[in-house]
Amino acid sequence: MIRDIFAMALDAMRSYRIRTLLTLIGVIMGVASVIMVTTAGNSVSGFISEQWNIFNPTGMVIGTGTGGAVPQLSVRSAVFTTNDVEKIQQLSAVKTVAPIGVVPLNKILKRDGLLKWESQPGEAMYASTPSLLEILNLQLAEGTMFEEGKNEVIISQNVAETFGEDKRLQVGDTIFLRRVDGVTLEAKIVGILEQSSTMSMFNTLSTPGIICPTKPYYSTYFGSNVGTIFKRVIAYTVLLAEAKDTNQVQDAQEQILRYLDSGGSDANQYKDQNTDFVVITQQYILVRVDQVMSVIRTYITAIALISLLIGGVGIANIMYATVTERTREIGTMMAIGAKRRDILLLFLFQSTVIGLFGGFIGCVFGASGSWFVVDLLNTNIQNLGGAFSTGTIQLTYALEWFIIAFIIGILIGIAAGLWPARKAASMDPVVALRYE
Amino acid sequence: MPEYVIDIDSLTKIYKTGKTELKALDNVTLKIRKKDFIAIMGPSGSGKSTLMNIIGCLDRPTSGTVIIDGENISSVNDNQLAVIRGRKIGFIFQKFNLIPTMNSVKNIALPMVFLGDTKANREQRATDLLDKVGLANWATHRPAELSGGQQQRIAIARALSNNPSIILADEPTGNLDSKTGEQIMQLLGSLNKEGKTILLVTHAVALKRYANRVVTMLDGKLSEER
Repeated sequence: MIRDIFAMALDAMRSYRIRTLLTLIGVIMGVASVIMVTTAGNSVSGFISEQWNIFNPTGMVIGTGTGGAVPQLSVRSAVFTTNDVEKIQQLSAVKTVAPIGVVPLNKILKRDGLLKWESQPGEAMYASTPSLLEILNLQLAEGTMFEEGKNEVIISQNVAETFGEDKRLQVGDTIFLRRVDGVTLEAKIVGILEQSSTMSMFNTLSTPGIICPTKPYYSTYFGSNVGTIFKRVIAYTVLLAEAKDTNQVQDAQEQILRYLDSGGSDANQYKDQNTDFVVITQQYILVRVDQVMSVIRTYITAIALISLLIGGVGIANIMYATVTERTREIGTMMAIGAKRRDILLLFLFQSTVIGLFGGFIGCVFGASGSWFVVDLLNTNIQNLGGAFSTGTIQLTYALEWFIIAFIIGILIGIAAGLWPARKAASMDPVVALRYE
Repeated sequence: MPEYVIDIDSLTKIYKTGKTELKALDNVTLKIRKKDFIAIMGPSGSGKSTLMNIIGCLDRPTSGTVIIDGENISSVNDNQLAVIRGRKIGFIFQKFNLIPTMNSVKNIALPMVFLGDTKANREQRATDLLDKVGLANWATHRPAELSGGQQQRIAIARALSNNPSIILADEPTGNLDSKTGEQIMQLLGSLNKEGKTILLVTHAVALKRYANRVVTMLDGKLSEER
């Protein structure tokens, strides 16, 4: 008998085709948008963590700033000495450490006979050691590494094109670097870096424009000196380090902090009283990125769920109108022997079937829609260019959300139908039969 | 076998709307034998519809006893009342009240669905009844595709589907022309001869002649005319 009532419900839905279709569309769109949003979110966060992983997962930045649960790095003062770099290099969990001294440039100049080109201001140059490349996972596309003490630099692909693609800088070219203190220094380009596809803790740190040896570029720069008038020492703003393996990242972090906070470190002597030493690991950044991503995803999913809810309101609305419209039919059915339960089921089945079918079709639409969304995102990424352009977002379905959206679709169908169905079932047959 | 198929004793029905009370039925006693063809006459508001609703188990009495084919309806719940309606009463309405989304066979078989009859039985019986009312060729048509007279025949077939002892016809010719109305009344007459108790509720005086017994309602009170 329940099967017969179910068949009657299907019959009624077939008879009110457009009405059924419209309610279905409401649920389909709700379910599909939940799936599309969650799948797109999954795919994008997969893409981002993959991009971050290209950068050394054992890497970390050492600097000064505010410590605590959410450490903040500020790159204002140079406090780390060569002595500190050597001591940190000797720590058991540390594989490599490289200093970074920031040399702000006003402009880059190039002369060719009487012709002269000048770059836009604002390029930063990093004074470091050759091990920087290993830590940053950078490779030279051509040329060699600079030698300490010589007027040699290596540059990025971007800097190579700073005067335009047609006037590309080549290995062997000589350029002039004007520092913010007005000093202009000659430099021979000995190497050009490969285009980097990494995203890392600091875009500028991980994709430096110009890398130079400490001498002569940094040692003569006013911002590099600490200490007293009697004893001037060169100091660096940040250090980049690498743990021996991914399991030792935390050990390395602890060892470095313990060394820096001890009385034996030079940095402890030169840093501002109010600042702390901060070591931010790539792993920590990954966790933070993941947290941010999940907050964003939760937010968008909540919005998508609202659209599912609106689909439910659509069902309730149309079912309510249907029940009112079919009042006399309901009265008739009661007169010829229908129990209240039969009437309840008749209408509840309709909304449940809409939820079920809407959920199913919504899953199919959501799956194909996700494909389009990810495709669209990939096209946009290619158009963006830069560091991103080498990666593609892999379509990663959020399978659990297929199930969740499907079940919520059905539940919403039932919930939305319950109220109108109860109204139908609780009608007084005498009144219902009189209804015009 | 009880003597009366419908046994109503001192039936009173009071409707309350807010603070005002309306006595729709006032101490009505009516005993109807099997095979009676009884016409219940009376103007609008006389209480004849209320009487019909109570006999049809759509409503319950305020006081008094109503026994329908051996079942006292004052003391049963909604579900039991629905079952009594389904088994013992066949309804025929002025506006036919067919389900517009169902074809003739499905409409006729609907009361059997609610009693839980099997599909094979239902379709067999519905086809037989369709034949009986002379519409064998209209099995798959929907109500909108049928004339008023045809619709009412389908409705009569539907009223017969659970083989009830009582047929309740509420102005069955009200929406039909006189010739078609006549045919419908003759069909009801032949059902009466086959042993069905027919209750005809009408205010059309012309229909009196089909009944063997006529009662008149006025202001909630019943009087026997013949």
